[in-house]
Amino acid sequence: MGFRDLVNAVLGKSTLPKAKSDKLFAMSTASITLESNLGLKPSGSAGICFKPIGASAYDSARKEIQELLEYSSKETETEFRLEKDEFNFLWAIFKDPDFEDLVANINLVSETLEEHGLGGQLLCAIYRFDSEPEAGKSGRGKTVYWIYNFKQGTYYPFIPLSGKQRDNPFEFKLRAEMEREMPIEENVEKWYPLWGIPF
Amino acid sequence: MKRKWERDLGLQGRMIFTMFLLAAVYLFFLAFLSYNGTPPVVMMLFVGSFMAIQYFYSDKLVLWSTGAHIVSESEAPQLHGIITRLCAIADLPKPQVAIVRTQVPNAFATGRNQNNAVVAVTTGIMDKLSPAELEAVLAHELTHVKNRDMAIMTIASFISTLAFYFVRYSLYFGDMGGGRKKEGGGILLVWLVSLAVWAVSFLLIRALSRYREYAADRGAAIITGQPSNLASALMKISGVMSRVPSEDLRSVEGMNAFFIIPAISGSSIMDLFSTHPSVEKRIAKLEKIQQDLG
Repeated sequence: MGFRDLVNAVLGKSTLPKAKSDKLFAMSTASITLESNLGLKPSGSAGICFKPIGASAYDSARKEIQELLEYSSKETETEFRLEKDEFNFLWAIFKDPDFEDLVANINLVSETLEEHGLGGQLLCAIYRFDSEPEAGKSGRGKTVYWIYNFKQGTYYPFIPLSGKQRDNPFEFKLRAEMEREMPIEENVEKWYPLWGIPF
Repeated sequence: MKRKWERDLGLQGRMIFTMFLLAAVYLFFLAFLSYNGTPPVVMMLFVGSFMAIQYFYSDKLVLWSTGAHIVSESEAPQLHGIITRLCAIADLPKPQVAIVRTQVPNAFATGRNQNNAVVAVTTGIMDKLSPAELEAVLAHELTHVKNRDMAIMTIASFISTLAFYFVRYSLYFGDMGGGRKKEGGGILLVWLVSLAVWAVSFLLIRALSRYREYAADRGAAIITGQPSNLASALMKISGVMSRVPSEDLRSVEGMNAFFIIPAISGSSIMDLFSTHPSVEKRIAKLEKIQQDLG
């Protein structure tokens, strides 16, 4: 917390921190290492989550996002849907076997919101990966979410287990393995859990 | 892109002015004490340790006195879920979460800094409010944490407490120091001045507290992007919604004629003594933010 933040706090001035989307693209190269070194396959789905606000700027941004996505999905054949979750946050969820198209669509949404001055409303972007099933077991392995926190400009792993538990050992292992490849959130207190990710 | 609704120069101006006045009163009081040759060491020690306890144990004291208990993520998943998201979007460390078992709808935040904060809600408020309204109330409490209101009010209360103890000290023990050079008249003057200081700082602290409530309302509006949710939550909590249809306006108007101070101006005098602004004023300000949102 800098001096400016302290002054703002004392004066009771509230602003939302700006979105830092410059490191968002780090996932595109990191995904290759995740797959080749750690056996984590991109699941073909990703999403971006933001907080709707009660203003016309937001309504026009949402309309523009819808139109842009409809246009770009024809080009890249990405499936998308917009949906609200139980906390009234809005998700844009994408399905595409081509990882680069997922990255492009996520970027499209974050850019559109920032252009409308709504970058502060961005919560996170999430890429889903699936691990190989353990030896002798069928089906999928674990679901690994890589969450991009727009406020920090960093990624962190989130591996939900049943009963609101998370697989911390695996998460820490991923941090150790990927630290040099991508910007990972150093402060584990900011590894916010997001239960019930809708994809 | 700079948004109009994120700025409120008027509110900040008033806050600076109030803090300036508080500091002026504080300095005047210290100057007066040293001028009169009062050894402030004993008193300062006493008041200082009292304030230190209040500062460092505020969270535990508040939790203990309200009967709030800390809840884990599995005990209150919905509450934790809302707070986690608000903290992520406002870039705050996540506070501890507590619940008070009472039907009185209320919420509060405590803790001396962002890393030692607790946000508590009553079961009553959770029953009464919709998820969106509860989110607005939690954003209001998180803004208190973000703005360090606990620390600021503790520092501001310092002068009030100091003066208050001095008033008591002069009242009970002042005359016993008869062997000292100061005459009774001097003691009386010191007492009158500290009484005045106490009264003025009492009112200023309450004014500061009300401005910080407005600031927390504004913060909640900005974090949630929906000022109207906080407005409706305030109306529900204060019972304005349920009161409106049951009150007969004609009978109230008729009764006003019998009062020396009409009910309306009576409430504005009471405004000076309250720590929270009236719900009507808070809602009016939230409506203004809603309009600025565009």
